[in-house]
Amino acid sequence: MERVVTINLNGTSYQLEEPAYDALRSYMARAEAALGANPDKAEIVRDLEQAIADKCSAHLSPGKSVVSATEMARILEEMGPVEGEAGEEQADAGAAPQHEPWRPARRLYRIYDNGAWTGVSAGMAAYAGIDVTWVRVFWILSGLFTGGFTCLIYLVLIFAVPVASTSEELAAAHGAPFNAQEVIERARREAGRFAETSSAQWRREERRWRRSWRRQQRNWDAGWAAGAAQAAAAPAHPVGYLERMFAGLFALVFSIITAALLIAFLIVFFSILGNGSVMGWTPPHDVPTWLVLVVLAIAYAAISSPFSALQRTSYATLNGRRSGGGAEGLATLAIVIIAGAFAWTYSDEARAFIEQGYVVIRDFVTYWSSQS
Amino acid sequence: MPSADEQFAGLRKGLLEFAILTFVSGRTSAYVGDILEALAPTPFATQEGTLYPLLSKLRREQFVDYQWVESGQGPPRKYYQLTDKGSGRLGELAAYWRHLTSTLESLGR
Repeated sequence: MERVVTINLNGTSYQLEEPAYDALRSYMARAEAALGANPDKAEIVRDLEQAIADKCSAHLSPGKSVVSATEMARILEEMGPVEGEAGEEQADAGAAPQHEPWRPARRLYRIYDNGAWTGVSAGMAAYAGIDVTWVRVFWILSGLFTGGFTCLIYLVLIFAVPVASTSEELAAAHGAPFNAQEVIERARREAGRFAETSSAQWRREERRWRRSWRRQQRNWDAGWAAGAAQAAAAPAHPVGYLERMFAGLFALVFSIITAALLIAFLIVFFSILGNGSVMGWTPPHDVPTWLVLVVLAIAYAAISSPFSALQRTSYATLNGRRSGGGAEGLATLAIVIIAGAFAWTYSDEARAFIEQGYVVIRDFVTYWSSQS
Repeated sequence: MPSADEQFAGLRKGLLEFAILTFVSGRTSAYVGDILEALAPTPFATQEGTLYPLLSKLRREQFVDYQWVESGQGPPRKYYQLTDKGSGRLGELAAYWRHLTSTLESLGR
């Protein structure tokens, strides 16, 4: 079963199989790179799109609405590589028209590869062109020497650096030229390496590869879902690098805010339940405790809801889809747990407070079970 | 031994502009499909990827111009025709080509 992408070529929409869309997009990207500063670039690109659209139409009929990957490969082969002005000048000079392969801008991405946990180190290693082990050693040592300060930087990077989810982005992460040939070569090299290693190791590699493949697939699903939604109006294009970076930073900031609000709520809740007062303030005697707690819960919901909405939006932008899959809730919970663990370790007061909260819950459960 | 097709690619490439101007000069107007089809069986066989940038360069140099013409099916098409400046250029190219071939012949003698 193939996923289908709807695209818009010069005002007409076409449905392409996913690999066909990938191939077309990289062809157009290389065409634009080859045309460089050509003053008629926009017009030539339109002409090329129109020519591809015409060729797509030739492959379609009332009974067949989707252009397959093989058909697209044939169409792009018929189109031939797009030649820029530089190529012509070279030919005039008698040199072989050997183009410098198109290189995308090198960018820092997170890469789930080689048993990566968050992909930050693998991405940095790919960016710098060094072995991932060095980067991991650097993080661990710097974390030890700075008393955990660099761990915070690492945490921010997890949010701020987008994951390389398409083969094109993976190429950009390495600063490698992206074309079909390169992808095939890489696959062949990997296959060769697998064949050499022992079977146990091979199985392990395969499991790991499957895991990252599933992850990749989820990302693609998200990307295409977003792409398909846009396709009706404009050519599909994924959320940009900068957009994702800011979405990641906002996601972190709003996660911290919602986590802080939740912690504050828990503190006030258990203070009132345990001591009948919070920070020296006692609720009026004629108001029952349960009512104070209900008002508190409503106030918490009212204050935290806009922040969690912003947090949800950030995660949705980050993942390129509407429903965040609960990632934002998990992030908040993780921050609360980490903050709690820190407080437990470093502050006696916090420890006493958490223990008191535990006693309150235990008493409540005992009370509840004795009632029913 | 590579075929003549592969060996003399550079030579043909330099002459492609000449071939296109000649083809366009032979009729009132031509669209890209006509040009590709006409060149396909010749040594000047080319592809859209090469032809569109070259045509836009020729237009920028004012050797050809185009008009949008409605087509029976699909969107309107660009029909190219030779300009006066273009026919001047074609004359120069033809004269230079004759000069080149006669030079080559005289060199062999």
